[in-house]
Amino acid sequence: MAKFIGQRLAQSLFVLFGLSLLIFFIARVVPGDPARAALGFLATQDQVEKMRAEMHLDKPFVVQYYYWFTGLLRGDLGKSSYTHRPVTTDLGQFIPATLELILFATLISLTVGQVTGVLAGYFRNSWFDGLSRLISYLGIATPSFVVAILLIFVFSQLLRLAPSVGRLPIMVAPPPTVTGFMVLDALIAGRVEVALVALKHLLLPAVSLALIHIAQEGRITRTSIVENLDKDYITMHKVHGIRTSRLVFKYLLRPSIIPTVAVIGLDFAFLMSNAFLVELVFMWPGFARYAVTTMLNKDLNAMVAVVLVIGVTFAMVNLLVDILITFLDPTIRIQRRGG
Amino acid sequence: MWQERKADLVATMKLRRQSLAKGWYKYSRNPLSVLGLIVLVLIGTSAGLAPYITPYPAHAGAFTNFREAGQPPSWKHLFGTDRIGRDVFTRVIFGYRFSLLLGVVVLSLGVAPGVVLGLIAGYRRGTWVEIVIMRITDVFLAVPPLVLALAITAMLTPNLLNAMFAIALLWWPWYCRLVFAVASSLRNQFFVREAELCGASRAHILFREILPNCVAPILTKMTLDMGIVILLGASLSFVGLGAQPPTPCLGTMVADGAKRLPGEWWSTIFPALAIVLVILAFNLVGDGLRDVFAVEEV
Amino acid sequence: MALLEVVDLHVGYRVFEGYLKVLNGVNFEIEEQERVGLVGETGCGKTTLVKTILRVLPVPPARIQRGQVLYHGKDILLMSPREVRGLRRREMTAIFQDPLQALNPMFTIGTQLRDILKDSQERVGRGQRTQRAITARCISALRDTGMPDPERIMSNYPIQLSGGMRQRVCIAEALSRNVRLLLADEPTTNLDVTIQDQILRKLDQLVDQRGASVLIITHSMGVVRDLTQRLYIMYAGSMVETGRTKGVLASPLHPYTQGLMRSVPRLTGQGISDGIPGRIPNYLQPPSGCRFHPRCAHAMPVCVEAPPPFYPAGDNHRVACYLYRS
Repeated sequence: MAKFIGQRLAQSLFVLFGLSLLIFFIARVVPGDPARAALGFLATQDQVEKMRAEMHLDKPFVVQYYYWFTGLLRGDLGKSSYTHRPVTTDLGQFIPATLELILFATLISLTVGQVTGVLAGYFRNSWFDGLSRLISYLGIATPSFVVAILLIFVFSQLLRLAPSVGRLPIMVAPPPTVTGFMVLDALIAGRVEVALVALKHLLLPAVSLALIHIAQEGRITRTSIVENLDKDYITMHKVHGIRTSRLVFKYLLRPSIIPTVAVIGLDFAFLMSNAFLVELVFMWPGFARYAVTTMLNKDLNAMVAVVLVIGVTFAMVNLLVDILITFLDPTIRIQRRGG
Repeated sequence: MWQERKADLVATMKLRRQSLAKGWYKYSRNPLSVLGLIVLVLIGTSAGLAPYITPYPAHAGAFTNFREAGQPPSWKHLFGTDRIGRDVFTRVIFGYRFSLLLGVVVLSLGVAPGVVLGLIAGYRRGTWVEIVIMRITDVFLAVPPLVLALAITAMLTPNLLNAMFAIALLWWPWYCRLVFAVASSLRNQFFVREAELCGASRAHILFREILPNCVAPILTKMTLDMGIVILLGASLSFVGLGAQPPTPCLGTMVADGAKRLPGEWWSTIFPALAIVLVILAFNLVGDGLRDVFAVEEV
Repeated sequence: MALLEVVDLHVGYRVFEGYLKVLNGVNFEIEEQERVGLVGETGCGKTTLVKTILRVLPVPPARIQRGQVLYHGKDILLMSPREVRGLRRREMTAIFQDPLQALNPMFTIGTQLRDILKDSQERVGRGQRTQRAITARCISALRDTGMPDPERIMSNYPIQLSGGMRQRVCIAEALSRNVRLLLADEPTTNLDVTIQDQILRKLDQLVDQRGASVLIITHSMGVVRDLTQRLYIMYAGSMVETGRTKGVLASPLHPYTQGLMRSVPRLTGQGISDGIPGRIPNYLQPPSGCRFHPRCAHAMPVCVEAPPPFYPAGDNHRVACYLYRS
């Protein structure tokens, strides 16, 4: 097991190194003048030249990369030309908001997706199965920004049930930052009503993010439940008089859950990229909005950092998923132990 | 001699016709897939003939008519008019044009290199060739395509052409990985080994022996991907990095209209539903193809 | 009263092409402590029959048209799910053909065995003592099947065991509790020939010790000759001949049984016979009357009209064929 994790870690590091080269290449080789973009049109040619030297833009690609990489090892990702602050400070500020959103969305999509998938599979060809199939088709075909706009239109603007902008109303003072998660921070500060308001703000963006994944996970779970229901061993469990609750929640669920777990990694990545759009729509002051804004402003250091953060997260989630599956699936565990 | 060959050809054609008929039979068993196909054909023809069948072709470009701005849906303007008086229905149909164009261009640029690289890597599995190709693929797949596409288009000048270029650049690794999986499982099959023993050239083995077995999953994935690419294109233009105004692009229309919610809801809801409809149709058709080819998962 | 009696059972499957009429009026019975063989070609409806008896037939696509499955005179097909579970826990169980598919790959042998015992007993305490007793019974059930080192096997996963070992586990699962009837659907077909014999003997011995009845489904004449007292021959969804095993094998009456006997390859140098011409019928449009008539050398006009009833042929021997009408 340790050997397996080590191998996977090494592989991830290699891929991340490659990714940093790729994104660095895109950022530096593509035409356009980031120094000019950073300073604006009013800057003089001298100022731009000075900026170029400061950003090492006048040096060859390899040297630029060397400067950047040694910086990375010191924990320095450079300065954002958009916010004029160190990129690491920006990331520290914006990542928790996005993480809160994504984790909440994952929670929603995993629970709702699993439950509907299991029910639809177990009662296959029932009205519930039909309905959930229809909804899942629609869910998969609807881009998250469309969901976001529809939700705002219906629940915020027409029904006035939930707020559509930001993490908290402007009048409410945010709780002191501990975890960076607004709901948790409010609870830690003992302000339950603020936590509830924050939760309400979280609701619509999280649902817009979650919907497509609810549909996907529901579909995968349903397929694997149906597949397993037809397996001989389920028949045998029945023949031996195993009680229904044990049959469904133990013997049927365990083999069926593995395909769903296997796609969590990919799902998480797509949640992150959908967050780019959803955060824009809801003006959520998060990492993804920061990413889009800095990209639109040709902020090189921020862009490289953003892409790398996403790459690292993706790699970590995938590693976790692999370990989780090894624990869930004895077949894989035994194979890995053997080979 | 030629008669024999002709008979051969006739037999082959008959076989092909039969398998086509059988494929259509399997496909038509799922009414949703048939519905998806009908919707796709409708969208495709109306997009193709957009200048001739839309009520106000002039509204596709930079047209203003402030006297009719912000009109709700009516018989005159099925989907209403936008803030500068352009017919939303016309612009949606023209928007489909660009969406479909984007999908077709991206896939035709992206699939071929991915397939070739995947074939080579799969067939030469265990050699440095495979390692190089697949590790590069891994790098491209290490972040979601939308993120890299945003980065690339942001660096270039945002317009439709660059959006196409950016997405196409990111699309080959998916096919590389798909074909790699099929090819490396086929590598040790008897028909491949036999061809090797007969001294067939490497190109023959790759393209005449292995490739035909990858066609079904590739086609299925391409259909499903049309939906994903269109979604990606819409997302890019939604952010403002796709086609620039006045090009009628579905994502841009949604973004523009969203600022005027809830009052002029039609100028954003209809383009949004149009996006959903085309992606849904591609998904349904893709699912139908999956049934026909009995492809497990792509 | 017979332990199990199947009366005029008709079962079919609704498929896209139409309706497959598989079981076509099956009649058979098993007495207490009796060992019965059921022989027929692949696809004659044996597995459908077993699944119907155990109520594990997937409905739909299957449909039970009519008929009764009487256990101690009570119709299993009309029982509530609760009653059916009780029946499976204490009265009857089964072993299926493919031991590689019959065990859940996600759980250890011990977990699966223990759960069967936990659910099969009405009063099972939660104390450590009961747990230990259950484990002990699982181990002894495994040991009874001739499994080497049962304590270690308890913590193994199915993937770690060979086919023969897995079939032993299946037998242990079936016989870990005291059931009165065991339905063994081709229990050794997928195993090596050398292991087949061992497993069958062990099964026979265990059934004997427990005083249970057993139905062995097979297409091997050798197995029925060794292990059963009475025999049914099945063709295309109904029984065509029954009687004491020795009697039927010595003098088969139904043309199908005769063909079946001729098809058994012999080592006496007579070569391999031609078998039975033709193949098992299409269940979408099965032949009318006796379903064997298209393949039968003795077919008469009456055979096309109605399926023949059982005609007695002495000493418990009965045959469903118009040749023996007199």
